[in-house]
Amino acid sequence: MRRYLPRRWLGAVLLGIMLLVVLPPGGWSQSLTVSLSNQQLYSEPSFTSPPVAPVPQGAQVTLITRQGDWVQVDYQGKRGWLHKAAVGGGGPSVSGLPALLGGGPVRQTTQDEVALAGKGFTPEVEASFRQKNPGLNYAQVDEVERFQVDPARLQAFLQEGGLN
Amino acid sequence: MRRMALLLTLAAGLSLMAGFNVPSLPLPTPPLPSQAQKAAEVLTKTGTKAMQAARPLSDAEEYYLGRAVAARLLARYPLYRDPEATLYVNQVGLTVARKSSRPHTFRGYHFAVLDSQEPNAFACPGGLILVTRGLLRMCATEDELAAVLAHEVAHVAHKDGVSSISQARWSEVLTTAGAEAARQYGGGVAGAVLNLFEGAVEDVIRTLVVTGYSRQAEEAADREAVSMLTRSGYQPGALAAVLGKMSGGSGGIFRTHPPTAERLARVRSVSRETAPGPKDRVRAERFQRVKF
Repeated sequence: MRRYLPRRWLGAVLLGIMLLVVLPPGGWSQSLTVSLSNQQLYSEPSFTSPPVAPVPQGAQVTLITRQGDWVQVDYQGKRGWLHKAAVGGGGPSVSGLPALLGGGPVRQTTQDEVALAGKGFTPEVEASFRQKNPGLNYAQVDEVERFQVDPARLQAFLQEGGLN
Repeated sequence: MRRMALLLTLAAGLSLMAGFNVPSLPLPTPPLPSQAQKAAEVLTKTGTKAMQAARPLSDAEEYYLGRAVAARLLARYPLYRDPEATLYVNQVGLTVARKSSRPHTFRGYHFAVLDSQEPNAFACPGGLILVTRGLLRMCATEDELAAVLAHEVAHVAHKDGVSSISQARWSEVLTTAGAEAARQYGGGVAGAVLNLFEGAVEDVIRTLVVTGYSRQAEEAADREAVSMLTRSGYQPGALAAVLGKMSGGSGGIFRTHPPTAERLARVRSVSRETAPGPKDRVRAERFQRVKF
């Protein structure tokens, strides 16, 4: 019996190594913070799929999986999809792009520039745009976006007007 | 060497913007000086792909573009801050938007009233819809207001604003990339993206304020508006009714959404007659209570 023990130990060590390799750094229960307001959990990774539940800004959600521009999360026992931009980008980093392009010289371009180009029109681009065009009225845009119709009130509105 | 690196980064970045994944990029070998020609070919190939696929922005990008467009419009037209009018317009707008082909956008639909007597309405990409008091006063009933808002929601749903971004703008950036992006845009890649963003905002504003959408886009928006009205329980004939009032006007919405006799006839042909219901009066009365 005694001579088999080392093999068992070896098996346990190998299993441990495999788990370390497979599991992400924070384990499976990686937590993400919802950074935008007016967000919904969707039943599919698409804005046209039926919403599951609203998620408030600042909510902590548990990451289940990633798929393209979407992350599947658990929020208070409800499972659904959020756009990655709602959880602070969340997608694969493009910081590896210079390495993928295979050139040391690419590193001379700043990481910020690479990230901006990779993500397209982002809050960072908006910030630069606002800085360059101070006459724009973003305060009123925010005001328009903040206005919310309470779902119960909308339901009453529909009912009163004989609408669907 | 540095310039080549920047060009490659820009091409790759624009490809990513166009929805390509990093692994699908044609990866070049390290751009050594002796391989300059090869690197240029890669740039051309990647750039062409980016140009072809550059139009379909992601929902998040469309949202930031729409905010910028709205910020420009709100610098020109002040908001009408009557809480009842704002709530009412949002309730009617959300009612029809829920029945559109795109009921959900990145941060939802939001409706606001502009304090201007000029009859006009603007559908900013992503779902910010601005309508003037002048246009609201042309509406006689809630159903007509719903028709106006449904038509604007349809423009958002069909991404007509985004489609108005000049195709040449994408190629312009890429051509300039080929001819020294760093020098031209000062800020390098970030500068080129900002430049593209500014240009896109200009293109959308020009369409919304000056030139209007294409006739085909207007027809498609009319068809969907009638469908939205029908599905949400409003009178589908309300669109024809409000368009009929616009005939003969000039400037503002009359220029950007011209209500031609042909268009009116087409809308009437797709609007199924519905018998007035008891709730029509309820809607008419609550419309009368709102001050525009």
